[in-house]
Amino acid sequence: MTSSPTQALAVAAQAVAASKIYGSGDTEVRALDAIDVGFEQGRFTAIMGPSGSGKSTLMHCMAGLDSVTSGQVIIGDTDLTTLSEKDLTLLRRDNVGFVFQAYNLVPTLTAIENITLPMDLAGSKGDTAWVDEVVGATGLTDRVKHRPNELSGGQQQRVAVARALAGKPQIIFADEPTGNVDSNTAAEILGFMRSAVDQMGQTIVMVTHDPVAASYADRVVFLVDGKIVDELADPTPQGIRDHMTQLGA
Amino acid sequence: MFKLALRSLIDKKLRFALTTFVVVLGVMFVVGSFTLTDSLRSTFAGLARDIAQGADLTVRADQSFGGDFDRATVPEAVGEQVLGVEGVDRIQPELGALNVFIVDSEGNPIRPPGPPALGFNFNPGTFFITEGRQPGAPGEFAADTSTAANNGLLVGETYEISGPISAEPFELVGVFNFGSPDSHTGLGQTMAAFELDEAQRFFGMEDGYQAISVLVSTGSEVSDVQARLEAALGDDYRVITQEVDAAEQEEDFNQVVDIFNTILLVFAFIAVFVAAFIINNTFQIILGQRVREIGLWRAIGATPRQVSRSVITESAIVGVVATIIGIGLGLVLALMLRAILELIGFPLPPGPLTLRPRTVGLALLVGLGVTMISSIAPALRARKISPVAALAHDFRLDATSLRRRVIAGGTVFAVGVVALAAGMTAGLDTTPTFVLLGIGAVLAFVGINTVSPAFARPAASALGRPVKSLFGMPGRLGRDNAARNPRRTASTAGALLIGLALMGLAAVVGESVKKTFVNIIENAVEADYFIRSAETGFGPPPGFPARLADEIEALDEIESVMRIQFAFGGLSVDGEPRDIVAADMALADDHFDGQVSSGDMAAGDPLTALALHSDSAESLRVGVGDTVEATFPDNQTETLTVVAIFEDAAIYGNWLIDGALWDRHFNRNDLAFASARIADLPGAVGEAEQAALQDRSRAAIEGVLDRYPTVMVENQAEFRQTQESQLTALIRVIQVLIGLSFVIALIGIINTLSLSVFERIHEIGLLRSVGMTRKQLRRSIYWEALIVAVFGGLLGVTVGTVFGVATTLALPESFVQTVAVPWLDLVVFVLISAVAGLLAAILPAVRAGRMNILDAIAHE
Ligand SMILES: Nc1ncnc2c1ncn2[C@@H]1O[C@H](COP(=O)(O)OP(=O)(O)O)[C@@H](O)[C@H]1O
Ligand SMILES: [Mg+2]
Repeated sequence: MTSSPTQALAVAAQAVAASKIYGSGDTEVRALDAIDVGFEQGRFTAIMGPSGSGKSTLMHCMAGLDSVTSGQVIIGDTDLTTLSEKDLTLLRRDNVGFVFQAYNLVPTLTAIENITLPMDLAGSKGDTAWVDEVVGATGLTDRVKHRPNELSGGQQQRVAVARALAGKPQIIFADEPTGNVDSNTAAEILGFMRSAVDQMGQTIVMVTHDPVAASYADRVVFLVDGKIVDELADPTPQGIRDHMTQLGA
Repeated sequence: MFKLALRSLIDKKLRFALTTFVVVLGVMFVVGSFTLTDSLRSTFAGLARDIAQGADLTVRADQSFGGDFDRATVPEAVGEQVLGVEGVDRIQPELGALNVFIVDSEGNPIRPPGPPALGFNFNPGTFFITEGRQPGAPGEFAADTSTAANNGLLVGETYEISGPISAEPFELVGVFNFGSPDSHTGLGQTMAAFELDEAQRFFGMEDGYQAISVLVSTGSEVSDVQARLEAALGDDYRVITQEVDAAEQEEDFNQVVDIFNTILLVFAFIAVFVAAFIINNTFQIILGQRVREIGLWRAIGATPRQVSRSVITESAIVGVVATIIGIGLGLVLALMLRAILELIGFPLPPGPLTLRPRTVGLALLVGLGVTMISSIAPALRARKISPVAALAHDFRLDATSLRRRVIAGGTVFAVGVVALAAGMTAGLDTTPTFVLLGIGAVLAFVGINTVSPAFARPAASALGRPVKSLFGMPGRLGRDNAARNPRRTASTAGALLIGLALMGLAAVVGESVKKTFVNIIENAVEADYFIRSAETGFGPPPGFPARLADEIEALDEIESVMRIQFAFGGLSVDGEPRDIVAADMALADDHFDGQVSSGDMAAGDPLTALALHSDSAESLRVGVGDTVEATFPDNQTETLTVVAIFEDAAIYGNWLIDGALWDRHFNRNDLAFASARIADLPGAVGEAEQAALQDRSRAAIEGVLDRYPTVMVENQAEFRQTQESQLTALIRVIQVLIGLSFVIALIGIINTLSLSVFERIHEIGLLRSVGMTRKQLRRSIYWEALIVAVFGGLLGVTVGTVFGVATTLALPESFVQTVAVPWLDLVVFVLISAVAGLLAAILPAVRAGRMNILDAIAHE
């Protein structure tokens, strides 16, 4: 899989009429309801919405961790719905980064080994200069030989973001990456993600509940009942709060 | 708490199934062995009754030791005497011989695979003609229905029969059922029956019978007649009732069954022992996984007592369920064992399976006992789990410190070794010895297993180093996971270790014995040809007709033939039966060099000469020229003179007498073995002539043997080869049986691996989410299994080799002299355990690969 040439504000990933239905009959849940959304290259997008609105489902489906029931999910110019399980795996490895809420690291591997894990799985050295740069940006250069249990929660999450960055994926999805840490630590992580977008030109989509966290993004998308209901450009915490009150969320 | 324990079991079906399965295996082996041997016992009891039936009383020579066929005969005159006793209605002489082979119409001797080939005089009391008539004249015989049917023998046809002395043609005049008129109750033995005088002639027992069956006339009390017969016949004869006769027969059979039972029990013991390791291991792992759950119980108010009680209750439920299933499967195993034994050449008699209450009791003891004991340590640890554990993400149970492990394990190991050493030096035939050896082995293994976690991590890391650098991330993760939990790795490997250590021990001891034997044969063999039964199998080879030795001796090309006979407990000295070999002592030194250290085998009167192995001479404190009082199975005592002392027991055993002395005291005429020397050509002989002579003499011997289809000839090289391969085969059979414990170890690895994969579900989901393919994931699990298995393999082989060398050194000189280590075998064993590890990993690896990524990630 080759990455498409970068164009200004080209779409890194998009969902087209994407629906995800869990269960059937009485127990049917429409987690995504014919969603159309695109994420432009080199931009930091936040996704917000009440609990159960389908945020995680959207992340998972877009990252190729889960499949949509109908519609399309496109990364670069690849339609994920046409890929085999194996190709999906390779896509995740080479073209997508993902950051979970917690426990993102393999406990037996050191921080640096965790960061280069996707490349090691691919059997390639990757771009070592780039990896060094990413590691430098985490501010953890002197701790890279440590195992996850020797790192704080915030450090662990920064390592997780660094891993997502290290392979230069087309897009990074982060599902509540700061959901499990205090606000100071959250600021470290968010600052790191922001600089990855600004200085490294990375594309990041992040789910969050926290208006302050969302304010680090260039754009906020609001999700309710599996549908995009609104969005906000260049958000401020206060602007986001106001919006949420309007939405009754 | 019972409800809680039950709930916990139902919720974790997989865990329950895996644990139960291991216990089931242990129980199954115990039940299988006992059921099989109990069934054998009852089958043999039935046979014993059949043999004894048809006679109210039996008269036979008194015998204090030795085989049944070595008992003194009852002279014909005694028969007359018996008939004269008041109350005796009729008598039926009984005659039997071993190694009476019927040759089928194709010219192949009919060899019952295992049971003996027997000859009898026709006894109308127990043989019931179903076709034709009973043999009544020389040259006639009858065969049992199953032999006749299985080999297409037809009444009216003539067949060659190979007997103790000669091979002759006989006409089949009838077919009979043994035991009952309606059905044949034989156990696979072939039976050829002859008219009485003909049997006496053909078996070479012209002047007597083996026993006399007595039928008491109506109106007489059996016990009265018995008393009168005893008074009339005196001390040399025993008069026994049908019941006693059956009981004695049964006891004879049971001796064989007991040996078999012991062997099976040793394997059952190994199985249970291996199973105990795995059960304990499983409980520990499960406990590790449940720490948080238990913490939660504690947080909501469960006392430590309640917690540990629930762990024990859970194991009790597992124990009971497993015992019940194990009993059922044990019966299946008994049937399977029977089939397997038949496949490898040890067919057992058919018969219904017997499940005795004792077996059920033992099954409960093993199933419930092993499970409960294995759960004590986890239960005690469970008490220590604090409510905080429910909150912590990676709360780990405190592992025993490695230092304490090494000290405790080392102590247990040392005690075990002392017990083993005491057991080995105490002589090999007493029960306390076996108990000592058993306890010693268990302690040694427990000790090793306690210590092994101390080096499981470095060993797994070291073993994994090449894997890591050569096989990328999957190899790396496999290595890390193998080294991650040293206790678990060590005890998983421990299950393999036991089997491998025993296989290694058998290999080293076996190889040493073989090497010793081969060396000895190499040096000892002087004869050119070796004549033996064509039957290859385990145990003493069947004998063959004695007359063929005369015929070979008569050949021009042959200078001399040495005849060898053999009897377990063939004579008794100081009240102890000794196994003896009989040979032509005048020839003995020319045919096999027994390494005579003093005296001369050929010196002295053959009728009183005795040659002794130095071990026996030493223990009796006799030297050349001394006399020994020896009693034979016919109750005759002779004063024998030691003529020679030899060092090499390979051919002549420990006690060697001359054939002439044998003939005086034994009724068995067939030869166990014979050797021949080629007559030297006069003058100097060229190589070509020598070769031609070889060819000619062999052809001549084979010409004789054409008439004896049960017998074959081998030259020196072939003889050595056969001896060697028979030993190898025996060692292999033992190893395969021990290898059965591999099956259990395999399940142990599946078990641990499944549980350790389960423990890492979140991590696996994570790896898959960052792009690890299913194949890579499976590979990493294979590597993990491989490293654990190779660790267990290396440890086992090392322990086995050390114990093997120690055992070899402890064994008597007459048995092993050289220590030989079969390196190739040992390497193969490690490879086998590697393969076992890989096989065990398939199921967990495939399951891990199929796991849904998001479910896995959500799992903590
Ligand atoms: N595996 C699943 N099975 C059934 N329903 C699910 C599953 N995952 C999510 N859901 C449902 O889909 C909806 C969206 O869930 P999710 O995407 O996790 O919401 P969010 O992340 O916004 O809180 C919810 O109603 C949730 O209950
Ligand atoms: Mg969510």
